[in-house]
Amino acid sequence: MNTQRIGAIFEKDLKEFRKNMMLLMMPVIPIFLAFMYSRMGEGELPIFLLYLIVGATYSAVTTSGMMTMMAEENEKKTLRGLIQSPASLADILIGKSLVVGLFTLVSLIISLAILGNDTFLAVQPIIGLILLFLFFLLLGIGIGLFTKSVANTSAYIMPVMFLFGFTPMIEFLNLGEDSIAIKIADYFPIMQMIDMHETNSWTAIGIVAIWVIAAAIFTFICLKKVSTDN
Amino acid sequence: MSDYTLNYEAAKDEKLPSVSLDLNESITTAIYSDTDLQAELIEAILREGKMSVFDRQEGLYDRLTVADNTKFFHKWFGCSMTFPEILVMFGLQTCADKPLSKCTPSELARVYYAKYFMMDHYPVVFHEPIQGVDLHTMNTFMNMLQKLKENKTPVLILVSNLEHALLLSDLTYKLKENGLQEIEVAQEQLSETTTETEQNSATLTTSKLYKVPAKVEDKIILFDPTEIDYIESQDGKAQIVVNHESFSLDSTLAEIEKKIEPYGFYRCHRSYIVNLQKVREIITWSKNTYSLRIDNKPKSTIPLSRTKIQHIQDTFDLK
Repeated sequence: MNTQRIGAIFEKDLKEFRKNMMLLMMPVIPIFLAFMYSRMGEGELPIFLLYLIVGATYSAVTTSGMMTMMAEENEKKTLRGLIQSPASLADILIGKSLVVGLFTLVSLIISLAILGNDTFLAVQPIIGLILLFLFFLLLGIGIGLFTKSVANTSAYIMPVMFLFGFTPMIEFLNLGEDSIAIKIADYFPIMQMIDMHETNSWTAIGIVAIWVIAAAIFTFICLKKVSTDN
Repeated sequence: MSDYTLNYEAAKDEKLPSVSLDLNESITTAIYSDTDLQAELIEAILREGKMSVFDRQEGLYDRLTVADNTKFFHKWFGCSMTFPEILVMFGLQTCADKPLSKCTPSELARVYYAKYFMMDHYPVVFHEPIQGVDLHTMNTFMNMLQKLKENKTPVLILVSNLEHALLLSDLTYKLKENGLQEIEVAQEQLSETTTETEQNSATLTTSKLYKVPAKVEDKIILFDPTEIDYIESQDGKAQIVVNHESFSLDSTLAEIEKKIEPYGFYRCHRSYIVNLQKVREIITWSKNTYSLRIDNKPKSTIPLSRTKIQHIQDTFDLK
């Protein structure tokens, strides 16, 4: 790891992010959603809506941002000559993660502030949110390594968004309580977070942590594959 | 002396012959060949994996400005020169705030040069480095070569244009299917050609009506000397260049030189005879080398030997 290189890529990507309309629109989506929801309901918003916003932020900003940035580098072959070793690839990924993290944080804070809910200001939900962020980030890195063009990212982001970002929406599908889909969906990270919020249980956090580890393994396999391909 | 040796065995199913070449750190080497052989040579270099070829084909960050791009590479490669020094060295200070998407090809080329310079590879291989760039950019590139020489980095340049090869390198090879050949440059031939020119003045009166015969398939085309831009030597045979086209002659450069000299032609380089009427510019590069720019459609630049500059200056009454 080389802090000078991480600094270089962070600075470069921060400037690029500000000039790329496609990336810049992403953090606006959850803020816009939050604004709509806050106007819709009277009084307290249901917890699952809050987590829907969190899921939207993470999938639209973190995962898709990471994927788009990697896809752009792959498409234009801008990284040719920059990556001499796996260490320099790691530097690039860390630098980009910092940029994505910064924009996720800004977008998340603004949308939660619009919703005016302070139930997140506790130790447990914050740990949960950090774990969730890592999960979505690792997913973005893993897929991003293989996306060859920006056009591809919109195809890849869809399953991630609907499976992991908008999991609470499954309740609107009117499947029965015993439906197998609902039972499986209950173990998805966002659903576990809702569960944790209601019951204050640490096991839910544990299950989210397992998801993070799974995503880390997925990313690691992708990294291995990319470095052997070259 | 830490020379770098390039060594490739001929593979069975390829045209590329065995290549063995010492890259000297104080001499810039160029290999001139047609594009097919060049592609195979590059493939061989890349397959070995020790060197990367700089061909300006990879992308840069289009949305960012010249300064942002350069600053990023400067930081990423940990360049020992300061950032303003790099900007000035590559003539980028005037377009520093322009986004790359609005830059001219020449400005982009200079950003690429800056990137390649800061990458600090050993040795360096350039592929068609000055194809389609302006004079200022060519000069920047030659200054960079000078700097690389000072840093004791061996440089190899691959081009498909003989003029570029002679301009950029100190030692030029020609790669053909039967192997590498060195192209000798000037000097030793000088005394010989001067005696030739003395003889030529005598024939001036007799060759009043002279046309240069070139063979194209079955026909013989007669060229008026005034329409010829220049004559170059290709594999020992002279070749007439008129705008984009070239026509081979049966005679050698020395033979044609005798006949054509009265019409205002001059042997400005071992492999070139130029029509002095068509010279538009005399370019002086920073490292005391010269080129002649011809007033034809492609605006060809042809090399001018150091030893011949005096004669050109006398002819045009320059000081």
